[in-house]
Amino acid sequence: MGVRVTSGHRLLAAMIGIGMVFGAQAAKVPDLGPLPPIKVNKAKAELGKRLFFDKRLSGNAAIACSTCHDPKQGWTQNKPLSDGYPGNGHFRNSPTLVNVAHKKVWNHDGRIGTSLNDMTREMITEDYIMNMDMRIMQERIKQDPVYLEMFKDAGYGEPSNGKVRKAIPEYLKSLTSRNAPFDTGKMSASAKKGMKLFKGKAGCIQCHNGPLASDGKAYNTGVPENFDIFLDPNNHQAFISFAMFQGIENYMNLKRDPGFYNVTLNKADIGKFITPSLRELKYTAPYMHNGMLATLDDVVAFYNNGGGKDSKKSSLLKPLGLSKGEQKDLVAFLLSLSGDQLTTAEHVWQGGYPAEYTAIKDWKNVRN
Amino acid sequence: MKKVIAFRPLLLAAVAGAIIATGCVAQESKKGMNDPPALAPLGPPPIPADNLQSPAKIAYGKMLFFDPRLGGDASTGCSTCHEPDQGWSWAEDISRGYPGTVHWRSNQTIINAAYYSKLFWAGSSKSLESQARSAARGGVAGNGETGIMEARLALIPKYVELNKKVFGTEWPLERDAFRAIAAFERTLVQRDTPLDKYLLGDKTALSEEQVRGKKIFEGKGGCIQCHNGALASDEGFYNIGVPGVKRWEYDGLAQITFRFEIYAKGAPEEMYRTVKDDPGAYFRSKNKWDLGKFRTPSLRYAVYTAPYMHSGQFDTLEDVVDFYNVGGFAADGRTTGFPETKSPLIKPLGLTDDEKEDLVAFIEAFSGEEILMDAPELPPYAAIFTKAELQAAQEAK
Repeated sequence: MGVRVTSGHRLLAAMIGIGMVFGAQAAKVPDLGPLPPIKVNKAKAELGKRLFFDKRLSGNAAIACSTCHDPKQGWTQNKPLSDGYPGNGHFRNSPTLVNVAHKKVWNHDGRIGTSLNDMTREMITEDYIMNMDMRIMQERIKQDPVYLEMFKDAGYGEPSNGKVRKAIPEYLKSLTSRNAPFDTGKMSASAKKGMKLFKGKAGCIQCHNGPLASDGKAYNTGVPENFDIFLDPNNHQAFISFAMFQGIENYMNLKRDPGFYNVTLNKADIGKFITPSLRELKYTAPYMHNGMLATLDDVVAFYNNGGGKDSKKSSLLKPLGLSKGEQKDLVAFLLSLSGDQLTTAEHVWQGGYPAEYTAIKDWKNVRN
Repeated sequence: MKKVIAFRPLLLAAVAGAIIATGCVAQESKKGMNDPPALAPLGPPPIPADNLQSPAKIAYGKMLFFDPRLGGDASTGCSTCHEPDQGWSWAEDISRGYPGTVHWRSNQTIINAAYYSKLFWAGSSKSLESQARSAARGGVAGNGETGIMEARLALIPKYVELNKKVFGTEWPLERDAFRAIAAFERTLVQRDTPLDKYLLGDKTALSEEQVRGKKIFEGKGGCIQCHNGALASDEGFYNIGVPGVKRWEYDGLAQITFRFEIYAKGAPEEMYRTVKDDPGAYFRSKNKWDLGKFRTPSLRYAVYTAPYMHSGQFDTLEDVVDFYNVGGFAADGRTTGFPETKSPLIKPLGLTDDEKEDLVAFIEAFSGEEILMDAPELPPYAAIFTKAELQAAQEAK
């Protein structure tokens, strides 16, 4: 150890010291709380809404952002792994987009830490996601008179790729939690007990803190691998394409999702994933980056056992010793972080789309 | 026949190319240096030293050619737009394109593509290998990317096996896949047309009508000025007055692709906003005198590859001959959007109806039997790892 212990008293003092340091750290964790309001430009968001649900934003015009982030499924897909682009599958669970504008880092592996503008570009262009050449996308948009009008009304002028990457994030800002019992103060007694556990005995708040109930950092909790990623060639091809493009070595032989390692290329980060927000969980099962846990009961049981099996698992995870009743309370609290489903015209484009592209009249003589 | 001094360098290059490509010695000629090379029987296709043929490579390439999984959404392979029963081409004005799109140019046949040194209508690829790759990756063609293509190849055990045998790598590389496809395409040649037989000495191979047509081709029709040598193409770039795609005027989807192509190929903004015809070879040189020029296509296999020209504006060979006969105008009077670069070689020909018929009959002599082929059975995907291997990896975490 290299620490010379000269007496029992000193050892005890050292232990107290460690305890105090830990206590101080715990105290520094930001508390849960209401999400700060975000200002949304209505015209820009309305344009972004139409774009979000428009299948013409994918290479073969078969899927929209909303295909894998479906309002009726909690702005995600209620299956372990996202659909991905037609012709392949995916290797991760689609995260909800409610409160996405409050995040500072995106993707389960945290590979985008700049802006939703970049995130929008990533989702539209990746070959296993929407596989769109954005130059074709731009020209499709310019072919739709409704868009020409909406871009103008939004103050963007002529439609362009850059403006799409601004309008969609503006719309995403409008997707925020609404009327969650936690925010309205109408929590059940069980949920209130659960909140105490959350902040105390269960230790959830160590990572799930702040208004989003997420610290935006990466941890290895030992979630088991989803073998369907590797046993289904459709999913595996998306994984291989991703890992190859990201420059992860030995990508053909990987039998696990490298997670945050993708960002740092530091082996200690293998299997770490960004702490997800706990808001809107009620609608977003299954859980974890690979959808391996089907219910919130499963999730709480998983943590109660001290997480999964991984030699690089975070030292924060230890068996919690929660009783059945305590686990129930904890689930009740987690559910209190979910509000109204955002499934009305306020958030969902209901204006439809033209069945085909209108031809520009007098094409030979008009300026594009 | 008119000698065209301005084209001498191109013609000389074409002569040299034809000799190297076909192994044919230029025919003895009493004509002058500036005369175009004579029509000639087609020799074996040139095989690049860095991509030699082998039965295994050809078999691998054939499967890949017919495999839609190379396309972005696994629906669009080479054969999707180059259909054997549509002349290894696509029987519409412009090619069908990737789902959700339409292309902007007429699809060219694969038959005898092996002989070109410039692929695509504007000559943007210099080899079959690079042509196949560009087409597979283009947004309005295959819309595939390296990552997903290599991943899919790796998940097809038969391809892993064939690739290893042919190229030696543990996992298939996308570029090698296109080398295999090119090797397969080099087997899609036709060298036994009536014209080949005639030129090799079988004087019965052409009808009297066709023999008369040949004279017109080489004389009054002036066709041989560009359609010469064994390939019946000098691979030069010309604006002969072909009008743009009519569909651009009334088809929204086609208008999208038109603008995309102009934008993606790097036109200046004013050009993007105003140009309404395909600038063609301009995109190779960015010289305004190349606007609207396209590489001379071969006339071989033309019987099966209608419609004709880079914009697919002519449905029959008769229409094509009529177009040339009036000096480069379609029946409805339409012509190139770049009249300023139109070749001085294109002038009204004054052919009679009989002469036009003879000429069409002769052009048909560039085609032999139709080359048909069934798609091979395609090998399935299979997982790379077993469940036991994954479980062991899980345990070892």
